[in-house]
Amino acid sequence: MNTKTLNLKTMKINYLNSNLMKTSKLFLSALFCLTLITSCSDDDDPEAVLEEELITNVTLTFVNDADATDIVVMTSVAPDGQDGASIEDVTGSFTAGATYALTLSILNAEDPNDPEDVLNEDIIKEADEHFFTYAVSGGINLTMSRDGDDIDGADSNKLGVNTTWVAGAVSTGNVQIKLIHLPEGADDSDEFGSVTGGSEDLNITFTSVEIQ
Amino acid sequence: MKHNLLIVVLCIFSTIHSQNCKYTFIGEIMDFHDATPMSGATVYIETLNSYTTGDINGKFSIKNLCNGKLVLVISHVGCETKRIDVDIVGDTYEKISMEHHLEELDEVSLQNKGNKTTKTAQETVIKDNVLKRYSSLSLGDALKEVAGISSINTGSTIVKPMINGLHSSRILILNNSVRLQDQEWGIEHAPNIDINSANQISVIKGAGALAYGGDAIGGVVVINSSKVIRKDTLYGRTILGGQTNGRGYNISSTVNKNYNSGWFAQVQGSYRKNGDFKAPDYNLTNTGLDSKGLTTRFGKNKFQSGFEVYYSYLKNEIGILGASHIGSVFDLERAINLGQPSIRRAFSYDINAPKQDITHHLAKVSYYKRFSNFGKVTFQYDYQNNKRLEFDVRIGDRRNIPAIDLTLQTHTVLADANLDANLNRKFNFGIMGRYQDNFANPDTGVRRLIPDYNKYDFGVYTTTEWRLNNDLILDAGIRYDFNRFDAKKFYRKSRWEERGYDVDFSDIIIDETPTQFLTNPVFDYHNISASVGAKYYLNDKSYLIGNYALSSRPPNASELFSDGLHHSAARFELGDIRFDKEISNRVSASYNYNTSKFNLVTEIFYNRISDYIYLKPFAFIPTTRGPFPLWEYQQADAELFGIDVNTSYDVTNNWQWQNKTAFIKGYDLKNDIPLIDLPAFNTMNQITYNNKAWCNFSASIKSEWVFEQNEFPDFNFEITDALTSEKREIDISTPPPAYHLLHFYSEATFSFGEKSNLNVALGINNLFDTSYRNYLNQLRFFADDLGRNVTLQIQFNY
Repeated sequence: MNTKTLNLKTMKINYLNSNLMKTSKLFLSALFCLTLITSCSDDDDPEAVLEEELITNVTLTFVNDADATDIVVMTSVAPDGQDGASIEDVTGSFTAGATYALTLSILNAEDPNDPEDVLNEDIIKEADEHFFTYAVSGGINLTMSRDGDDIDGADSNKLGVNTTWVAGAVSTGNVQIKLIHLPEGADDSDEFGSVTGGSEDLNITFTSVEIQ
Repeated sequence: MKHNLLIVVLCIFSTIHSQNCKYTFIGEIMDFHDATPMSGATVYIETLNSYTTGDINGKFSIKNLCNGKLVLVISHVGCETKRIDVDIVGDTYEKISMEHHLEELDEVSLQNKGNKTTKTAQETVIKDNVLKRYSSLSLGDALKEVAGISSINTGSTIVKPMINGLHSSRILILNNSVRLQDQEWGIEHAPNIDINSANQISVIKGAGALAYGGDAIGGVVVINSSKVIRKDTLYGRTILGGQTNGRGYNISSTVNKNYNSGWFAQVQGSYRKNGDFKAPDYNLTNTGLDSKGLTTRFGKNKFQSGFEVYYSYLKNEIGILGASHIGSVFDLERAINLGQPSIRRAFSYDINAPKQDITHHLAKVSYYKRFSNFGKVTFQYDYQNNKRLEFDVRIGDRRNIPAIDLTLQTHTVLADANLDANLNRKFNFGIMGRYQDNFANPDTGVRRLIPDYNKYDFGVYTTTEWRLNNDLILDAGIRYDFNRFDAKKFYRKSRWEERGYDVDFSDIIIDETPTQFLTNPVFDYHNISASVGAKYYLNDKSYLIGNYALSSRPPNASELFSDGLHHSAARFELGDIRFDKEISNRVSASYNYNTSKFNLVTEIFYNRISDYIYLKPFAFIPTTRGPFPLWEYQQADAELFGIDVNTSYDVTNNWQWQNKTAFIKGYDLKNDIPLIDLPAFNTMNQITYNNKAWCNFSASIKSEWVFEQNEFPDFNFEITDALTSEKREIDISTPPPAYHLLHFYSEATFSFGEKSNLNVALGINNLFDTSYRNYLNQLRFFADDLGRNVTLQIQFNY
């Protein structure tokens, strides 16, 4: 009887081993197949994404109503858009007592050969969700007003793309432009504009702006 | 005449019959798992309607048998009763295997204690009767039942479990034996688990459970479906719930069909929805949720072998507080100063951007076989598909295009052998292979936050458990894991240089555009993890547990490759491809004391982590949105230590008092600062009245007291308003003040007949509508947490 059990035991172990071996072989080959399939199907390189909601170049061009050669240009260049550092620059100076029309340009030039006009394509198209505010500081005598033909923006306020600026007495200071997306409240009653809530898509301050 | 003939025939027949009925059957009953003889089994010979008993060697004999079929029903204490057919052909001998260690082999669930998966780890089991209270909530909420478990939240519906101060990739979640692969690296990525599909959840603090993975520096959460019952039955459960806050409702239903033969099938579905939640003083606009879940499984579950096919589906659409979408640090400053969300609308069920839309599929097939005198061998294959869409506040046609569109697919094969022939010396070993494919859809029009990558994992482990004597159990384990990341990532040329990769990694550039490099980083990690522990019974009321675990976690995709804007925090988050793995050494000790009235569990731990990876601010850049902070993942040695205490005392048969308290500290040793986002000291007291005579009525008042976190890193920063040249500090570090909340819960169960009952539960969370903010809620800068919530839940068991 004892030998019988022993034989049975050995048989069982043999059976077990062969079974284990079979299954582990199966398992290994499954693993191998899996690696093979997946490594073959995955050799394509991903395509580059050109950011769509990027703003790389913001340009404020002030042109004297009386003298088209009297121009002040404020530029902000951020090659990586909002993700990277930006450099601000001001060329020209305002003439005391003169009135200027401001033209805005907001571009996504990540692809320099095909810059995207963010102002006209995105912001103005969705003017009711946007609002520009301006501010001056540091003692510069600049005032501004939103033009009658300015586009309606958030809360039926004037968006702030067509504006007129008047330079007062000789002075130096800072000029700020902000673009607010989805403000909770907007108010253009003081012309410069103010908001509550929303998120700032632009917040650029140009320093050392001069009126001569 | 006719009659006579019949009598003659019958006589002949019976003579023949009696002539052949002289055979003997000898049966030998042995224990299946270690082949030892089993004495004292009761043998009922059904065909003869008589009884006999096995002797000391497990043998029994039945004499004077005829050739033919014999039906035996064998029962033994602690065994599943076995019914066998024996063909008697002359004298017959047959070996009969019984299994009488079902309990030790985790075959039978202990009704009261719950099934622990480890012996010497700090493990707590949350059972079905507690889980049902969380039917309308999430996994992260339910786990807070355990002292020392908190959660890191984004609002109140994105709840990530935190074990002893660690979360995300440091916690491994196992859903029905499948390791969840759902982009858990993100702090706003809640685990894709439908709490209604869980029958029991185990929380293991630390990396003691090596069979599941070696990188669980924080801990392991094991979610189990219900045990399969081997009998012919059909049963089910339906839960209906409603909540006043958020005007939420939920329904969940489970139906089980089981057969004596071991076949089983289960279907479970759940749906829950809520609209905007409400803080005591205002609506939390855009905090709605829509969640659909389906789980189904079938298979055959016999003692010796079985298989299971399992599939689960979960789709969550989660709104994120509208006011948390900000563009600049000035917006953040205004939000903090405003003290309430800037967007406050009337209640709505609408879910707008910012929102998440996540779909998770999990499919599994498994097979096991038990071999006599050896143990159990299990094979498993699983597939997971996790699709994560994050919708941002965008304009124009892009509004309906997600800003993040990631698909993570995971295949895993697993083989595990559990050698339990000798119950005092158990061995377990296994091997695991995994392939992962992450695809970041470029159609988003937003640069990829996480790149396309393939990941290959391979692991082998062995664990052993030794019962030295009745008082002492030792266990130990060791595991090796290999991980390979093979990514294809675009870097902006400016970022490439800022990170200094142009010096160290110029060889991985495979292509370039005018502004970007396409790179192919391939990183290999070799990880060793190990654990050793002991459980010692001091007497029949108390025991001590000691455990040491070494675990090693490779950096995740986010820590390596992250490169983008974190909207609600107004910061850039940058990964670093130079990172090496984190290594944790954790020692822990527990003391358990148990009497029929008093129960105490005290757990202490010390966790030393080398090269701990976390986000830290390091620079400021001027951008077209004003100054912006850059945060980068950094590696620094860190330590965490703490104590968790759980006490309960039955004052009388009807009154019970319970306390849960957790205290933790953690430091960055390199920079000598406290770690960010650690839970403050918190203590929970609960008084429960229950009366079984009143339809199992119970009512409880729970007091939740969370202190102010007084140790935190100062990551405040100063911004200069370029317009006014004014310098202002933005306080993003100071934790909110302490708070105390009271919660009420009551329930009663009404029986209908033998098998059906109805459980009705009424709860009030935040009874006094207290305004508070939680340090561990990422949206604490923008809004208060939830106000009062009255919940009603009806559960029908049938």
